[in-house]
Amino acid sequence: MSRVVVCTWGTSGGAEELLTLARGVAAGLEATLGWVVLGPAPHDVTAIASRQDVPVVDHIEHEKLQSFGGDVAVAALADYVRQHDFRVLLVPQTFDARLLAPRLAARIDAGVVMNGLGVVVEGGALAVTASAYGGDTRVVYTLAGEGRFVIGVATSALAAEPAPNPATAVTRHCAVDLAAVEERVQVVTRSEQTGPRIEEADVLVAGGRGLGEKANYRLVEELAEALGGMAAASRPIVDEGWAEPARQVGLTGKITRPTLYIAAGISGASQHMVGCAAAKTLVAINRDPEAAIFRYARYGIVGDCLEILPALTRAVKG
Amino acid sequence: MSLRIVVCAKEVLDPDAVNNYALEGRLVIGDDGKSLTQSSIPRLMNAYDEQAIEAALRVREAGVPCTIAVVSVGEGQDILKHAASLGIDEPVAIHADAASLDHHGVARLLAAFVRSRGGADLVLCGRQASDDDQGVVPALVAEHLGLPVVTIARSVDVTAAGDGFAVRVVRVTPDGDETVAVPAPVVVTISNELGQARYPTMAGRMAARKKKVAVVTPAELGVAPEALRPRITLAKQFVPTVKGACEMIGGGADEAAAALLARLRAENVLR
Repeated sequence: MSRVVVCTWGTSGGAEELLTLARGVAAGLEATLGWVVLGPAPHDVTAIASRQDVPVVDHIEHEKLQSFGGDVAVAALADYVRQHDFRVLLVPQTFDARLLAPRLAARIDAGVVMNGLGVVVEGGALAVTASAYGGDTRVVYTLAGEGRFVIGVATSALAAEPAPNPATAVTRHCAVDLAAVEERVQVVTRSEQTGPRIEEADVLVAGGRGLGEKANYRLVEELAEALGGMAAASRPIVDEGWAEPARQVGLTGKITRPTLYIAAGISGASQHMVGCAAAKTLVAINRDPEAAIFRYARYGIVGDCLEILPALTRAVKG
Repeated sequence: MSLRIVVCAKEVLDPDAVNNYALEGRLVIGDDGKSLTQSSIPRLMNAYDEQAIEAALRVREAGVPCTIAVVSVGEGQDILKHAASLGIDEPVAIHADAASLDHHGVARLLAAFVRSRGGADLVLCGRQASDDDQGVVPALVAEHLGLPVVTIARSVDVTAAGDGFAVRVVRVTPDGDETVAVPAPVVVTISNELGQARYPTMAGRMAARKKKVAVVTPAELGVAPEALRPRITLAKQFVPTVKGACEMIGGGADEAAAALLARLRAENVLR
């Protein structure tokens, strides 16, 4: 029987949402559902797998996987696939996954599609809906043949639902041969981010060009602090040096999923919306009543964010 | 000893024009249900690929002797003429119907081209194409050639090292910049953070007029038609509908702020 497998490493973020999607794909293909964890397993793997009716979690362990780069990861997964084949491998589309997924696909001669938003089985064939033109359009790809496919999925748009019949998941330890593998790319200076991360924040206040100048970013930070959330930023003002790269939301920044996202002075280019469209409630503040951001927002205030942001901070502080 | 650079380039519909149509709600999908056919949308070189050419030219300007070839899969040659006007040495078209290929086919052809020249020291690609945003071709090419790949570069520096070259790349990651070192040959993808790509000079345009685009066929590259049969086909394209259920809150700044907070609290978005 063929398998539909979710593959994660590092955190289990997005895994439950992707397993929910994978369950539907597995049912459509009459395949079994699996989950493979590369490297150290997060503590909640067994609980998530049980909820999602994954009977067996494959855990790929090797000393070289304690912290790893692309060469080791691709080699480990390719060796795993030789032992435990699959029909479809789904990966949450993180920054690293964008590189690992196509490399693995080429290594094991699988087809690859990225930016997936949905995967369905229609008449026995796989169809992937993906984002294109920076979010301006959606495309549907048909995946032909009986071969393997690796699909990167943006999990921020998915919802997790527990399986009707939960399983009691067990772990299967999978050994891989990495004796001959060394990383060819050496990291000279690592990007080290410490402290809280915007992709885990519950409340985000994001500023854009409408702030006018760097000094005004403080207004974003003050409201974020008053709300117990974090300050975020659009790409143009990160490029200008008004805010740190770690705060950048969007296609080239981070994909966030807060309960509340307040966008101040941000026009709503599709590249930005990719990173905040999953917010439960989006509030837009913009001087231009025609700004695209209002089409995505639940609430909108037309006005100068230099006036509205401090007013909101005052109101929150009561 | 000169550094052999191959830049891979793709022709795309101008993403800014597409975005403008989309923002105005006037983006139309053609009768085939999958193509953007508005004739007022210009075709041009993928901007990330233009920046890959820029990265190659900067390596040359840093004093590393280079040969720079720019290769594109497809029947059109306009973007290769553009590349020639920027001062690259060799524009090459791989003659194939790009629309009938998937990324695996494109990557096979590009890798076969590099192999047909006895290899390259540095293969530069844009981080992704601005039409489909897939960004998989560079990694596929690297795997076909057995090369390491470094993605999302802000800068690429090359120095001679022994008999070969050492490459140092600053990558743009979501957590900030990361510097990596890798010996050539290597595939590197270039991001917009590299900075503005140059425009052709008048002299460059004149010189490009005389430069001939070399054309090679898949057969000449030793790629059989069955190796190009697509596994992934575009079935449909559509313009997503945005909810557009925004409730506008009016009044002065303090009034609007209070009204907004009241709504967010009523919906338990805020406590």
